[in-house]
Amino acid sequence: MVLVWLLAVPLLGAAAVLAVPNRSAKAWAATGGLVELALFVLLWVSARHGVNWPWIAAWGIRFQLGADGLSLLMLGLTAVVFAAVLISSDAGAGRVYYFWLLLLEFASIGLFSALDLFLFYIFWEVLLIPVFFLLTGWGGEGGRSAAMRWLVMNLVGSLFMLVGIIAVGVLHSQLTGHLTFGIAQLAGTAWAPAVAPLLFLAFFLAFAIKAPLWPLHGWMPEAYGRAPAPVTALLSGVLSKAGIYGFLRVMVPLFLPELRAYQTPLLILAAAGLVAGGLLALRQQDMKMVAAYGSLSHMGMMALGVFSLTRAGVLGATFYMVAHGLMVGGLFLVLGLLENRAGTRAIAAMKGLNRSAPRLAAYFLFFVLGSLGLPGLPGFAGEYMIIQGLVAHDVVIAVIAGAVLVLAAWYMLRAFQATMQGPVGNVAIPDLLARQVAWLLPLAAVVTVLGVWPSTLTLPAAPSLYHAIHLLAAKG
Amino acid sequence: MNPLLWPEYSVLLGVLACLAAVMALGTKRSAEYPVSIVALVASAVFTVHGWSGHQSPVALYGQTVIIDNFSVAVDGLVILAAAASILLGWNERRSGTDFPALVLLAALGMMVLGAANSFLVLFLGIELLSLPLYILAASPGTSASGEAGLKYLLLGAFSSGILLFGLALLYGGSGTMIFTAIGPAHTIAPLVAAGSALTLVGLIFKLGVVPFHMWVPDVYEGSSMPVAHFMAFGTKVGAAAILMRFLFFGFYLSPGVWGPLIGYLGVLTMIVGNLMALPQNDLKRLLAYSGIGNAGYLLIGLASHNVTGAEAMLFYLLPYGFAVMGAFAVVTMVAGERSSISVKDLAGLSSRSPALSAFFVVAMLSLAGIPLTGGFVGKFYLLQAALFANQPGLAVGLVLATLVGMGAYLRPLLASFGHPAQSLEPIVWPWGGALVLAVATLGTIGLGVYPAPIVQIVSHSANFFWLH
Repeated sequence: MVLVWLLAVPLLGAAAVLAVPNRSAKAWAATGGLVELALFVLLWVSARHGVNWPWIAAWGIRFQLGADGLSLLMLGLTAVVFAAVLISSDAGAGRVYYFWLLLLEFASIGLFSALDLFLFYIFWEVLLIPVFFLLTGWGGEGGRSAAMRWLVMNLVGSLFMLVGIIAVGVLHSQLTGHLTFGIAQLAGTAWAPAVAPLLFLAFFLAFAIKAPLWPLHGWMPEAYGRAPAPVTALLSGVLSKAGIYGFLRVMVPLFLPELRAYQTPLLILAAAGLVAGGLLALRQQDMKMVAAYGSLSHMGMMALGVFSLTRAGVLGATFYMVAHGLMVGGLFLVLGLLENRAGTRAIAAMKGLNRSAPRLAAYFLFFVLGSLGLPGLPGFAGEYMIIQGLVAHDVVIAVIAGAVLVLAAWYMLRAFQATMQGPVGNVAIPDLLARQVAWLLPLAAVVTVLGVWPSTLTLPAAPSLYHAIHLLAAKG
Repeated sequence: MNPLLWPEYSVLLGVLACLAAVMALGTKRSAEYPVSIVALVASAVFTVHGWSGHQSPVALYGQTVIIDNFSVAVDGLVILAAAASILLGWNERRSGTDFPALVLLAALGMMVLGAANSFLVLFLGIELLSLPLYILAASPGTSASGEAGLKYLLLGAFSSGILLFGLALLYGGSGTMIFTAIGPAHTIAPLVAAGSALTLVGLIFKLGVVPFHMWVPDVYEGSSMPVAHFMAFGTKVGAAAILMRFLFFGFYLSPGVWGPLIGYLGVLTMIVGNLMALPQNDLKRLLAYSGIGNAGYLLIGLASHNVTGAEAMLFYLLPYGFAVMGAFAVVTMVAGERSSISVKDLAGLSSRSPALSAFFVVAMLSLAGIPLTGGFVGKFYLLQAALFANQPGLAVGLVLATLVGMGAYLRPLLASFGHPAQSLEPIVWPWGGALVLAVATLGTIGLGVYPAPIVQIVSHSANFFWLH
């Protein structure tokens, strides 16, 4: 039942912020985010029972939520990043802004715990709406076109996935005689060779667009660039993980033989994205875009881990999802604070800011080092496991992945050095306020703990992931 | 008097009572609206009373009329559409004293269509539905409405002629008036083939299917809001019901002949309807093209030719109806004294009236098919039908049309969040419109979150087991 509350609290919070006056909306929303965090801790220490209620009996659809290792990690990431975003958001943003944020949290929590494809799809698509309105309402000049692009590209993917979801349900019912959309029930079904590639493509496209994986990232630059910093932090920190999570939650159980059959092209695609993202990040003159393309590159890294279909690779990808979500979320939030102070995002316009704002520069450096994979911070552990998984399968790809780590250090440190270090320029900015340190410090502490002691997460996550790969490998 | 027909009798008595009220009280407009609502409530009570999940069909009047769970479900939908139209028209000064009686009469025609099992009853229902609507379309008395009424009358009469010609050929070819008596032996006869083709043309004209859709936007544009709403919701129910009766009861043995035709027309209709909705500025025209697109979705249920398809088609009418109710209620309130408004007039709705704008969001998202609204569940049902029928082409067509439709529905939504060109007066909430809006929104979200009870009802109403 804790899980149900975890889902219900953001929804109740969303309703509550609509009912309170604008000036207290933020207090309510931030409280909601903290309650959610507390509930997550309660879920972690409790027995983590899911629910499985009848819902639309005629179609074999059940209201089924669960918190196995994989879901638990993603729920934690959601709770932490949303709490940070709700606390750090602008108090003057108004209640509608907080309404959409909380609705987004509701959809994310639902997505990361749904175990029925119908339910999964509902949250998958509901997710699009708050982001759409956040981009149109708070995205400034080009927000509207960014929102349209976000919606149209993601809908192309998700609508074909809808056909795919119904098709797997229908095909499964023609094989077994009963209609169901439960992932566990559908797992391991041998699809007819004629339709299997089409089904695979229907799901793959939706997940790859949402992540996004290169070259399906057309919506990303505009959306990341236009969205206010807290929303960008959510897009890259939490929502991008929905795509990778979809590969693990849906595609591994349903399409493991197909994943194995197409493994080499998939690995090449992911590696190409890893390299392309890194090279694109190197060329950006706008700090937010450096982080955005860096994030695109890291999505390729996670995809590599998943497509390696090895224990280490899949576990590494899962761990890296959480690590990357926390670090890139923190990075975008810090960049937002920097942009507010400096009034620009252009790298060339800032110089030597660590003199006027040493604390901000310190947090910036922390998240930059985390993103480039410094040992001791969690990105390193994730990358290490992914590369370990890759070596077992394909050494060439593993070497490419390792080489790109150098690229990451290059583009990340370039942005940091040019803006923070060197002689003091003519722009000086105020340093972080105490209330900003108050949420940045715990976030950095969580990141450090995960970096030093990754098994906090890998131990609970491993059994369900291994189970998914091995049980099905035996079957298929 | 047959007790099973009390829903219909109530509406008929309501028509007479409305006319009597107008005759006795003149233009003071005090009684006919309440009387019509009372008649519809009575009809609804009889409908609910008459519905039972397992009751077997009853054939009346020499099998020309069948009262079964399907006809009862159609009655329910028609009552909802008529009640919503009358409530929307209640506070509208322009709709005259004859409005409730004419709406009830057209509703009676739709109910007759839901129970028809013979060519004669089919034609009776179509004419009973159409004649009051010809008058209603022209009733605002402006030049636009006169044009709309005339256009509707001429094209409608033409389609009725084609329909009648087709029915005559069918009778000549099959020797029977009764749908269920058209045997398999006759289905290949040229006379029957020609007759059924002409009949189908007449019927899909009423549904507003491409290429017989040209009248829809013009007629909606010229009509008043409540009348346009009634055409968008009620007429679709009646036309969909008679198409199911005609094809699933009369020609279920030859789906190979009409199935592909209906399938192609359906895909064409949904894509053309949604594409044409994209550039529309007048909201009534936008909703008209949206209605055309939705007529295309409904045809998927027919083309699938399985039980799921029949269920999905009947089900889809309800979320579609709720969304149309919500959209028209909002548009009516924003329009106020004007007879029509454009997308630009919605600008600033979110600051003028946040509640109204929220209701508008729900209606539009349901039309667009976003989850947690009834529109999504309806499309999920139709997709299941298409895939159970092994017709992935229909499913892909629906998905592509939905994608186009998303653009069409988002444009007014985005406008409602934009800034108004000039300052605007606050919106007046007429109680009739507010009631319609409340029911529509609750229904839309209710169907989206927990559709199981309605799915249950539909599976008892459209369980045409011989389609398996």
